[in-house]
Amino acid sequence: MQERLSFYVRRKSDLHALNPLTKLTLAFVLTILGFISPWYWTPQSVILLVIIPLSFLGKVQREYFSIATRLILPATGFLFFMQAFFQPVGKDYIFQFWFLHITPESLALAFSNASRIFAMVSSFTLFLLTTHPSELMSDLTRRGLPPQFSYVIISTIQIIPQMRAKAQTIIAAQRSRGLDTTSSFIRRVGALFPLVGPLVFGSLVEVEERAIAIEARGFTSTRVKTSLYDIPDTNLDRALRWVLIALIIITISLRLWLS
Amino acid sequence: MDIISQNILYFIIAIAIIILLLIWAYSTKRLQADFNTITWTLIPVAIAINIAIGEIVVTLKLPVYLDSIGTVLVAVVCGPWAGALTGMFANIIWGALIDPNAFPWFPVAFFIGLVAGLCAKGGLYKNWWKVIVTGFLVALTAATVSTPISVGVYGGITASGSSFITAYLLQIGQNLVPSVLITNYLVEPFDKISTCLLAFAIIQGLSTRFLARFPRPENAQIEQGATRTQLLIAVIGAVAILAIYIFVVVKTVTQ
Amino acid sequence: MAIVNLQNLTYKYPLTDSPALQNINLQVNEGEFVAIVGPNGAGKSTVCYTIAGFVPHFFKGEMTGNVEVAGIESQGSTLNELVLNVGLAFQNPFNQISGAKYTVFEELAFGLENIGIPREEMKARVEDAMKLTGISDLADRSPYSLSGGQQQRVALTSILVMQPKVLVLDEPTSQMDPIGTREVFGVIRTMAERGMTVVLIEHKMEWIAQFADRVIALKAGQILLDGTPQEVLTSDLLIDQGFGISRYTSVARQARNQGLWQKDKPLPVTLDEAVEGFSAQ
Repeated sequence: MQERLSFYVRRKSDLHALNPLTKLTLAFVLTILGFISPWYWTPQSVILLVIIPLSFLGKVQREYFSIATRLILPATGFLFFMQAFFQPVGKDYIFQFWFLHITPESLALAFSNASRIFAMVSSFTLFLLTTHPSELMSDLTRRGLPPQFSYVIISTIQIIPQMRAKAQTIIAAQRSRGLDTTSSFIRRVGALFPLVGPLVFGSLVEVEERAIAIEARGFTSTRVKTSLYDIPDTNLDRALRWVLIALIIITISLRLWLS
Repeated sequence: MDIISQNILYFIIAIAIIILLLIWAYSTKRLQADFNTITWTLIPVAIAINIAIGEIVVTLKLPVYLDSIGTVLVAVVCGPWAGALTGMFANIIWGALIDPNAFPWFPVAFFIGLVAGLCAKGGLYKNWWKVIVTGFLVALTAATVSTPISVGVYGGITASGSSFITAYLLQIGQNLVPSVLITNYLVEPFDKISTCLLAFAIIQGLSTRFLARFPRPENAQIEQGATRTQLLIAVIGAVAILAIYIFVVVKTVTQ
Repeated sequence: MAIVNLQNLTYKYPLTDSPALQNINLQVNEGEFVAIVGPNGAGKSTVCYTIAGFVPHFFKGEMTGNVEVAGIESQGSTLNELVLNVGLAFQNPFNQISGAKYTVFEELAFGLENIGIPREEMKARVEDAMKLTGISDLADRSPYSLSGGQQQRVALTSILVMQPKVLVLDEPTSQMDPIGTREVFGVIRTMAERGMTVVLIEHKMEWIAQFADRVIALKAGQILLDGTPQEVLTSDLLIDQGFGISRYTSVARQARNQGLWQKDKPLPVTLDEAVEGFSAQ
């Protein structure tokens, strides 16, 4: 069971050194470009010409390729096939199976959509590989995000693995008491209650004490909050963000002008 | 505009509506009323519950999602806006860190929390049959909001078993959007009513003393007589109504 | 000068029938170490929450009487002001971890960030506090990877960095193993020796007898006894009311009944007192 729920890889690289907001903007911009740009081959170019080189720049190429092949490719591959068969575009069937058919148009559309999703997940994966969650939250809080949101997000990220571990323990414990999770439908539905009950009730108890604990440490204080770490935001960061936003504006204008 | 772009537009519109709603709720102080320190400690646990139960259900190979139990819980005891934010953050974090396919559905999660919370505020969460009504309303909302996302992002076919229904409808000549819409209207009630019933069962198991800590404990005050027989009547009634509902839907489709 | 002043305090939790505290009168002077003992449901935790301001601000309910801590009246203030004067720790160390931080150092700084302490001072306070409680070597570890005793020490340290005037501890060692217990009491003793006012709920009589200046016995929301550990922990009233007593007291009591312990000699509460008492026969 994984103990930590994050993709972050601690390394020293040009990408790691960038401000978190810059990297987040980059991920969003690359995604949006893939969806908005009028040029068909945009998502693929983004992946080949931007994301992969950046993964090398960030020294996380091995991790990125591992995630791309293990997780992203199968998911988008499935999407591709589904859309190729089900998109109701085009008339000439290249291939037919029962009532499912593929046309050149549906193939093209499926490839386009699958590539867009691939580009989106890749760019965010790159972001997550090179940005520590608490760095991101620290920076966003400094820029005005309410600190409570930062608390919720990091707290959630840390609690999820604990909850999963608890679920595994409960499943194992109930199985050793004879709980059957593989037989008939009714049995499986019945299995839901002795699993969900202990999990939920055991977790809700801590909610009250934790509220008291953080309250006791000034969670609702009205003073201006300070931060332990200083996340640098250089001129390069600012310049990059403006360039990225300009790119989006240009692309939108291009699309409107061409349509 | 082709269907896909149209539905991407709906997606963007949904996000815009969400942002506007949040701004409205914040400026009229409705948003803040749902939040206490304990709301902030409940939400992470609720999100983790969403994910853990969602994964248990996959292990048990049940034909439901049950990935919004935490959202509904927060919506009832804290309020609609807290529930909405819980759902939204749950999908965003789930999508970012576990399964990217969860991410596009965050507007649906937002409205699930919102509608569940509004029903609870309106007193629709006090006994078994009222909970079923809430579940039904939540299901209708979820089905409506998820259709444009399904079509726009996935072309109408997602990786879940319900896509077979969509496929069948497409085969018999229905158009894409109506097929997806009908599929969702058929599938969501089972999932959302079960979700609301489970959340209700959980609330019944919590002590009044504990519930009193949250911003809206009055939503969770169970009416007297919420007994087993009432549950049975409610479930039978729900099944009957659902059967009629499905019959009507299918009839309309095959016209 | 009383740093904690509870006068005629009566409090009832919401949705309950009987009051949790009835007419409590309690003064604690600066630097005193006060232990509170009593059976479950006696109201010990409620007293702690009252001193820290959570009663009535967090729990709501009905409160009458006067509560004044470090010169500030509880009813007229807000919770976020009151918590600055009182450090509160409770049984389960796991639930006291905020969850928002990845290392112990950051966890300790969490409270200071919330109240707006400047960065340099924050770091200094955290480092000093870690040295004081002996957890400097845990600075870079995740709070969730620690043992129970370590987590509880982190919880105590995270309160100490806030520099409270009173430390209120609700059974901090009840979930610890013996090593953890010793570690935690070590920290408490260090703070007491530095002049910190401590209010401690505990069941471990031997530890109370060693450290406390005063012991308060609480039952059913009322104060039964208030005196030195000697007076309170060996009193017959305590034993009659069904409170637990230390093993040494129990043994010496039985010895007294059998004529093996002088009738007018005060009963021991600690091991040392028992040894001294028995060997002086």
